[in-house]
Amino acid sequence: MSSEGVTTPLISCFLAWLLPGAGHFYLGRRRRAAVFFAVVLATFLLGLLNEGRSYIADGQQPLTYLGTLANVATGPLEVLSRRATFHKLAYALPADENSREAQELLTAMRNKARVVTDEYGTTYLITAGLMNMLLILDAFDIAIGRKA
Amino acid sequence: MRSHFLNMVIFSALVSVFFAFLTQNDRRERLKVMTILFLSMVVLSLLIAYAMFPFPLNTAR
Repeated sequence: MSSEGVTTPLISCFLAWLLPGAGHFYLGRRRRAAVFFAVVLATFLLGLLNEGRSYIADGQQPLTYLGTLANVATGPLEVLSRRATFHKLAYALPADENSREAQELLTAMRNKARVVTDEYGTTYLITAGLMNMLLILDAFDIAIGRKA
Repeated sequence: MRSHFLNMVIFSALVSVFFAFLTQNDRRERLKVMTILFLSMVVLSLLIAYAMFPFPLNTAR
């Protein structure tokens, strides 16, 4: 495989993660890129508007790893929702749940969970991440010529 | 935004548009997929909600 044959899929995947739709834009699918950008951004913003919370990886609850992965797939935008949830960039709960840091993170998460629309918001945030994950895979397929 | 129905409709619309553009290239096909997905999600949700109506969450009340 030529160097271009390797770098183009990697660049398009990285751009797709960096900004929703950017991978498609790079591959010349400008109209699709604009629609994907608008849809993923709207879903993410609705998540913020509904006070959704980001997931944090907790060793005692393995499913939280999937939630965190879905959040991170949104790209750098995700920093906004994570800061809104935990007031800092935290991706994993400390092993010692009685530590001060762990207690602060858990309290911040519980405060968010008390908001009436939290479930809706969290679902929007997760969906935005999962959509972007599909966009990354789609950009990869287009880049290697598997999809027209 | 506290309306369950409005949230459901907006969510369904966003997901329908996303999958229509992701899976279809032809404009007419996109519109068809978008409509089918949107109506499926909204109508099925309403049917499930209606089916659950006789079963209250808290029977102790």
